Amino acid sequence: MNTYRNFCIIAHIDHGKSTLADRLLETTGRVTQREMVYNQILDDNPLEQERGITIKLHAIQMEYISKAGQSYKLNLIDTPGHVDFSYEVSRSLSACEGALLVVDATQGVEAQTISNLYMAIEQGLEIIPVINKIDLPSAVTTIDGVKKQVMDLLGCKEEDMIMASAKAGIGIEEILEAVVDRIPAPTGDPDKPLRALIYDSIFDAYRGVIVNVRVFDGTLREKDKILFMQTGQVYEVDEVGILHMKRHRTNEITAGNVGYFTAAIRKLHDTKVGDTVTNPGRPCESAIEGFREVKPMVFSGIYPADSDDFEDLRDALSKLSLNDSALSFEPESSTALGFGFRCGFLGLLHMEIVQERLEREFNQVIVNTVPNVRYRVIKTDGEELWVDNPAQLPNPGVIDEIQEPYIKAQIIAPTEYIGTVMKLCIDRRGVMLGQTYLSETRVDMAFELPLGEVVFDFYDKLKSSTRGYASLDYDYSDYKVGDLVRLDVLLNGEQVDALSSIVHRAKAHEWGKKLTGKLKELIPRQMFEVAIQAAIGAKIVARDTIAAMRKNVLAKCYGGDISRKRKLIEKQKEGKKRMKQVGRVEIPQEAFLAVLSIDD
Amino acid sequence: MSGIYLHIPFCEKKCSYCDFYSIESTPLMETFVTTLIKEIHLRHSSLVTRHSSLVTRHSSLVTRHSSLFLGGGTPSLLLPSQLERILTAIRSHWEFEDGAEWTMECNPGTVTLEKLRAYRELGINRLSFGVQSFNASELAFLERIHTAEEAEQAMELARAAGFTNVNMDLMFALPPQTMESLDNNITRMLALEPDHISAYSLIYEHGTPLYAQLQKGLVTPHEEELDAEMYAHVMQRLTSAGYVQYEVSNFAKPGMQCKHNLLYWHAQQYVAMGPSAHGYVDDVRYWNIRSLAAWTQHVNDGLLPEANRETLGRTERMFERAFLGLRADGIDVVDYAAEFGVNVIEALGNDARIWLEEGLITIVHDRLALTSAGYQLCDELTLRTISAIERVSGEQWKDDSAADPIDHA
Repeated sequence: MNTYRNFCIIAHIDHGKSTLADRLLETTGRVTQREMVYNQILDDNPLEQERGITIKLHAIQMEYISKAGQSYKLNLIDTPGHVDFSYEVSRSLSACEGALLVVDATQGVEAQTISNLYMAIEQGLEIIPVINKIDLPSAVTTIDGVKKQVMDLLGCKEEDMIMASAKAGIGIEEILEAVVDRIPAPTGDPDKPLRALIYDSIFDAYRGVIVNVRVFDGTLREKDKILFMQTGQVYEVDEVGILHMKRHRTNEITAGNVGYFTAAIRKLHDTKVGDTVTNPGRPCESAIEGFREVKPMVFSGIYPADSDDFEDLRDALSKLSLNDSALSFEPESSTALGFGFRCGFLGLLHMEIVQERLEREFNQVIVNTVPNVRYRVIKTDGEELWVDNPAQLPNPGVIDEIQEPYIKAQIIAPTEYIGTVMKLCIDRRGVMLGQTYLSETRVDMAFELPLGEVVFDFYDKLKSSTRGYASLDYDYSDYKVGDLVRLDVLLNGEQVDALSSIVHRAKAHEWGKKLTGKLKELIPRQMFEVAIQAAIGAKIVARDTIAAMRKNVLAKCYGGDISRKRKLIEKQKEGKKRMKQVGRVEIPQEAFLAVLSIDD
Repeated sequence: MSGIYLHIPFCEKKCSYCDFYSIESTPLMETFVTTLIKEIHLRHSSLVTRHSSLVTRHSSLVTRHSSLFLGGGTPSLLLPSQLERILTAIRSHWEFEDGAEWTMECNPGTVTLEKLRAYRELGINRLSFGVQSFNASELAFLERIHTAEEAEQAMELARAAGFTNVNMDLMFALPPQTMESLDNNITRMLALEPDHISAYSLIYEHGTPLYAQLQKGLVTPHEEELDAEMYAHVMQRLTSAGYVQYEVSNFAKPGMQCKHNLLYWHAQQYVAMGPSAHGYVDDVRYWNIRSLAAWTQHVNDGLLPEANRETLGRTERMFERAFLGLRADGIDVVDYAAEFGVNVIEALGNDARIWLEEGLITIVHDRLALTSAGYQLCDELTLRTISAIERVSGEQWKDDSAADPIDHA
């Protein structure tokens, strides 16, 4: 066990985590230069490579012979790089004894790095700071500031930091030496009852769920009976192994090591990240701490563009959820959109990923509605109700109070943007909790914000108003009572349920005005005038009108070219097919996301 | 009713908005005439072959044609001797009804009394002048080669040469145009008493110099409102001057409707020859290659110079008849039901009632036709009618033909 090292890499997007991982694998001979066809092999999902982010976790074991001549087994456990997946990050950190903190020499520390770093420090991980990209020309002017930031943050000395360039292969040996010298070997007793942490699981169509675990005590063997302590389910282990570039069967893994197992588990939902695996006959004393049920925080309706495709969509969602346990979905119906699903996501990025995978991998043409959070409604008769679709909010008369989820947000930005960031957060009903100067030019601000105000376009606004310099991280906090109302949209007097939203009363008028204005832009002229109204209950708060279509006729016919004329009509017809009809009004699909494109 | 269309693809100068196939290399005219005559023979023999073993219900060979149309380009660039050779070739294969309509498109800047007399002697009995506007800046915008005065003189010449059936084209919604200048154009056109007027709104066609200007933001199209008002004004003035609107863009003195034009809207057949020409024979729509060089090559190799063709099945014809009828003089509901088993008025149901109330359609003697207000929304009403027919018939109006008739080769 003394020769094992379990570690991960903490870095902001683009600060070079994947490149560094590739370089470590290459240096330890786990991959050859030739295999680096798609460098950044840890991110093997094309969507991840495209977005430059890691969604699913991976781990790879490397063998390294130190300068002292000792052979080590290094388990590099990858962590997802987005705020939506912070719980998964915390679980993969628990599987490690140490972490490389990678900071871009030209960019400095970002919000997400800090929150993950704090998480790692809380869990007692040994931190090895690495300043990356030191070979970039602009690093000359920025590197001293960045070093100072890191030293302030960690309270470390200059000599503790490793100067590196993953791209140029600088500092790689030093990093590997530091991993074996500075990160403690795992502790644990191979003879004690089995106690292993699930930090990730993936679905394989042939073998069922493949569970990735860190064994703390005991030994996980094939043919053993195992118990998942949270779900109480018992299985028999089929296959056990470790992760090289591919899975490598070893029949068992013992305390201190990281590996995988299969056990004919059919559903990903049966293996919960953070759960503890033990033997039912000889259980461990207590489960590993920190388990949390992952709950969707953001909800949106997903409907088939063509209502005939409802069953296809259900099929696609079922398949998708086999390897995305955070996705939830249940059937719902809307007068405007027909039959579809209310889906729950970890966050906005997760939502986008699901939508994109549905379209790319499952060829679904979908209409999705504006995302919202889940509200807790206390009715006057004391009944408690969870509402994740604004259209289902009960009549105001029977509502005692509505509570909404809040987050604690950490925003790091250059000091010149303090005012901009404060204004944005206060506009979104945020309260500042405090601020810390990371250096003379960078400030770390903490806010409490309603999640519902963040799910629209907060991140984009934050980025654009700080020219991309601000970074954001957040964690969910509590539910709090809010003065919230449902804002409905009516087209020619008919309510369009899929356009309803829950907003703060003080913002309802302004919101309604912007929404009706936006819908006026997005809904094409019809043969008759269309009144767009925004209403709270029976009270109209905003109104706009789409004038009737005046002319739609292509005059010219080209010397008997009827085929062309017909094509033009067909083209218009195709356009109509993508519309949804409410009453006599035809609504294009973009309109259902209108709220997302409203400018402040 | 059936006809023959010949495409003459030459212009002295291409107009910026024009999307018809034509080139400015007029010296090639002589070779073109020779090749066109070859295509006439080739096309005829291909029809003979196709029909030798078939029932000749639709055959263009046994009927006497009701019209001949020379379009372009600028057919009036043809010398009378060249026209004579072409018409001789046509007459050697096809026969025409008594009183058949023979139209020639003319640019007002290219005609002389002699030329018009010669055309008339050769059998041309209807002229169509691309007048477009009487306003100098509008003509300059369109890059027309003639002046307003030349357009007026052209009409005098046509009458002097004995033509009693003359069309004039009028364009509206031109960027430099105001309601006042449009009204003035109409007044000057009506003063010339053309027997037929084709009034088009300017279309920004992909691939034209005008479209490029639009993309660069050098021209700004009129707002939908003004475009609609101009169209309404054109319809109002022409109908009150005694013209009958029988199609979205076509107006005629009573009895002077263009027979050839009606073939298109009534889904009748027409044999077409010349580069880019579109024909419709026995449920087949075909279109020739849109390149003088490639067309010539094909014909000289003894091949039909078609770019593509599509065969219309019953379903396609059902939808086509509806959309063509709506943009012209309407759908005969009884005939339509007899042929396709769909009662269009019943299919439209409540929509038909609303449209009647709103004055978009009329239903007279079982004919459902658009009003002036209806023509404004012709495409929209067509789409709704097609959807209604789809619902009732259970058939889908899909484009199955792999061919793309919008072919800029």
